[in-house]
Amino acid sequence: MGTQYDIVVIGGGVVGSAVARELSRYQLKICVLEKELDVCNGVSGRNTGLLHSGILHEKNLLRTECCMEGNAEFEQVASELDVPFKRCGKLIVGFGEEEKKRLEGLYQRGLENEIPGIKMIDHDEIKSLDPNIDGDFAIYVPSAGILCPFTYTIALAENAVENGAEYYFDHEVTGVEKDEEGLFHISTNGGEFVTRWVVNCAGLYAFRISEMLGFEAYVPNRIKGEYEILDKKAGNFLSMPVYPTPNESGAFDVHVTPTIDGNVLVGPTIETIGTKIDYAVTQKMIDVLVEQGSRMFSRMNRDYYIRNYVGVFPTIEDPETHKEMDFQIQTKESAPHAVNLVCINSPGLTSALPLARRVVEKVKAQEELTANEKFNPIRKGIVKFADQDEEGKQRLIEQDPDYGEIYCRCECVTRAEVKQALHNVLGVSTISGVKYRTRASMGRCQGGYCETRLTQMVQEELGKQKEEILLNKNGAYMFTGEVK
Amino acid sequence: MNSRTFVCIVCPNGCTIETQYEGDKILSVTGNKCKKGIEYVRQELIDPRRTISSTVRIEGAELPLCSVRLTNVIPKKDIFRVMEEINKIKLTAPVSIGQVVIKNVCGLDSDVIVTKNMG
Amino acid sequence: MQKRDVVIIGGGPAGLAAAAELKKRGVDDILIIEREKQLGGILRQCIHDGFGLTRFGQTLSGPEYSQRFIDQVKEMQIEVLTNATVIDLTDDKIVTADTRDGLLQVQARAIILTMGCRERTRGALAIPGQRPSGIYNAGVAQSYMNLYNTMVGKEIIIMGSGDIGLIMARRMTLEGAHVKAVFEVLPYPSGLPRNIEQCLNDYNIPLYLSHSVINIKGDTRIEGVTVAEVGPDMKPIPGTEKDFTCDTLVLSVGLIPENELSLAAGVTLDGRTKGAFVDENFQTDVPGVFAAGNVLHVHDLVDFVSLEAEALAAGVNEYLNSDEVAPCDIEIETDRNIGHIIPQKVSGEKNFRMSMRVRKPMGRCKIIVSQGDNTVKSTIVPNAIPAEMIQFDVAADKIMSNEKIEVSVYEQ
Repeated sequence: MGTQYDIVVIGGGVVGSAVARELSRYQLKICVLEKELDVCNGVSGRNTGLLHSGILHEKNLLRTECCMEGNAEFEQVASELDVPFKRCGKLIVGFGEEEKKRLEGLYQRGLENEIPGIKMIDHDEIKSLDPNIDGDFAIYVPSAGILCPFTYTIALAENAVENGAEYYFDHEVTGVEKDEEGLFHISTNGGEFVTRWVVNCAGLYAFRISEMLGFEAYVPNRIKGEYEILDKKAGNFLSMPVYPTPNESGAFDVHVTPTIDGNVLVGPTIETIGTKIDYAVTQKMIDVLVEQGSRMFSRMNRDYYIRNYVGVFPTIEDPETHKEMDFQIQTKESAPHAVNLVCINSPGLTSALPLARRVVEKVKAQEELTANEKFNPIRKGIVKFADQDEEGKQRLIEQDPDYGEIYCRCECVTRAEVKQALHNVLGVSTISGVKYRTRASMGRCQGGYCETRLTQMVQEELGKQKEEILLNKNGAYMFTGEVK
Repeated sequence: MNSRTFVCIVCPNGCTIETQYEGDKILSVTGNKCKKGIEYVRQELIDPRRTISSTVRIEGAELPLCSVRLTNVIPKKDIFRVMEEINKIKLTAPVSIGQVVIKNVCGLDSDVIVTKNMG
Repeated sequence: MQKRDVVIIGGGPAGLAAAAELKKRGVDDILIIEREKQLGGILRQCIHDGFGLTRFGQTLSGPEYSQRFIDQVKEMQIEVLTNATVIDLTDDKIVTADTRDGLLQVQARAIILTMGCRERTRGALAIPGQRPSGIYNAGVAQSYMNLYNTMVGKEIIIMGSGDIGLIMARRMTLEGAHVKAVFEVLPYPSGLPRNIEQCLNDYNIPLYLSHSVINIKGDTRIEGVTVAEVGPDMKPIPGTEKDFTCDTLVLSVGLIPENELSLAAGVTLDGRTKGAFVDENFQTDVPGVFAAGNVLHVHDLVDFVSLEAEALAAGVNEYLNSDEVAPCDIEIETDRNIGHIIPQKVSGEKNFRMSMRVRKPMGRCKIIVSQGDNTVKSTIVPNAIPAEMIQFDVAADKIMSNEKIEVSVYEQ
């Protein structure tokens, strides 16, 4: 038996990492158990990257409350954690009388929810906001924003680690037992962890952990959404996310969203897949993306395709109402010291820190926590060469000549950034890990130029053999060995 | 009498050559842009030959491999035998283009030479 | 800021040939900027032979071919900056490069764009399926294998019959991998016939035409693909799906000229070539900015890249001498059989070489270049296929007016 922890967080997504970071404000021995080889590998890394406003859900839901709280504070969060973000606003556009009625309903909800600054605007006002966006009328939601989910989750995790939390990757929880003293014994493929508290932030697998902890056995009814990423050249033509009017069932069809890095996301499509997890892109949905995406974004063009991806969202249906269940932060008397977060999907990214604070409150309700006086909320990211002006670039090269070597031509990422990414405080060594930390290979050539350099550097900097280099997961080996 | 269609590999033109032949005797040839095409077909009928390129390990250079090729065509059936010989080679930088790595490889009247200046 | 007569962006075959030819024509103040540590561009990894037959009358490997130009450039003492990546180019010809010694800015009188091309990716094609490791573009696999001593896999499926894919099929076979099949969506091969012969047929690697990969399977490393026959509409024919296991999928599905810097400088691109619109001097629509080689249009033979870059040098020299080239107002238009053509505009004052590709295999063809009723040039091509660039010279004395020139291809 190894170290005993005060709190084990299961799941290194955005919520788990936010929980670890908020808990690290106190004198607690914390660790995060993550089954994948990096943070942000599940729901957190497969979404639209939106800072939601709170208009999409009804008032009095935990979802809406957390979302609005998270939205309002994000300037401060972004500056503390060095996470690029833009409050670009968002448009929900409509055409014709039928849609107008539906959109007005949504607008009323926005007013009820007290979403700051929302406005019903007409065609001309839409055009003055962005001439590339079309619509007879629209709800303008100025508080919505965009951010990179990877950067944000990595930032939270790094800040947690800098403040004393530990991360264990490749640690999948297989069982939880409780001893007479009330301690949890968590079994993983990497050994047992003993802890006083457990927080379930397992995202897609939260229903399973929930059962292990003695909470309700939920049956997921997951939603799959496919996306297309467009070239930054398309990004020049879109200044803010554009949603269509919700359809008759209240769901949003394919929308288009600029990313904080300048690309455009088209999607998601919506498909209910029950208990499955399925990350395969399908021709059927690619066709839907093209058809519906072109309606939202007239510049949609095959020449702009960079990559497709799939998100799977951990939706659970309320057995009584048959509606989607609200965010759940559960504790129960029969399982004290367990906090159970289930049904955390959209707007989970926006709500991560508010949810984390509520988890802390649950802990505080049962024991007094002593502040970690060394806690530093400030985390610095890798300084990006591409973001600097000429003087800034010059200064960086002077400080470190590795900034003078471009490794990824599409995203203008230098050797210095790749090197820093490989020596990240979380100890992640996959090629995708470098990609999400630097954007190397995220551009239009998809690593055609830089991937040989990245894999070479993994060998040089981390002393790995060719066969040991992984794209993103165990088993996702890159090479079979040497030629000679 | 037999007939066969060849795609000449002598030059990038890649002529499609229709041939009629009896044993190793060529009766007619059409489709070739130059005389080399006839030579190619004749050779293909009696003893098809190819040249190959590969790489060998090199120490002391910026990159771990040095490129090599054959100076002369070899019988097609001997390609993998020659590859085995090439696979045994280890070079030390510096090397330069044209340097012979294996003289008369497998006795086939073809040398393995370096095709890249390294180190 | 440094000042230069000519800055050449890219030290591959086009850039090197342009530099040497400029020097021969008396231009001294030249700087080649190359992002790799060595000159030679893509030829560094093209270790197969077959280069140089047209240019040198000899069949050489890629590194040998490029070394001949590198040697010339060295002998002529042309200045070269390697390990330096141009990150910006303005329309008034200021080049910004990232180097270990700092950010370099150069004001050039003329710019030569010779950045080459990149490969079309899985993402650009939106191939359905999962996203496992083990999917490589052919050129990337070539770089891993030939430069970095890295074997990408053992059981290989190749999608696309482009030349690099064919070359890699042979290369991987020689190095002990098993290449199971090549699938080409078109009803004819994309690569040159000689490569089909010596890279596939020689090693009994089957080529399936009118077939496409419609699904990729594998949660971690790729485990297999589903392939289907496609109809004339390029859509999979239901019921023809077949599964193949593999540990590696190599894509050879086309090259795209790398024109991000050209766009930054305001150069207009031709949607057909994905390269610049140029005149007979290879000048783009930004005065003083010239382009040749694969950045202009994708070539199948490096010999033609070198020749094109040498022809460009003449235009650059003229520009440097008089700060302009003769106005090129005669537009060149093509019929529907032609995929693209270079140049797109001429002056009518100079002889020039026309480069074009047909859209589909057409067999024996007659190509007619005309201006109204006047036939400027008529030439026979014995076997026109899209894989082979067609080139012929056009004499200026046959161009009678400023009327547009039309190029048509007729099957014979």
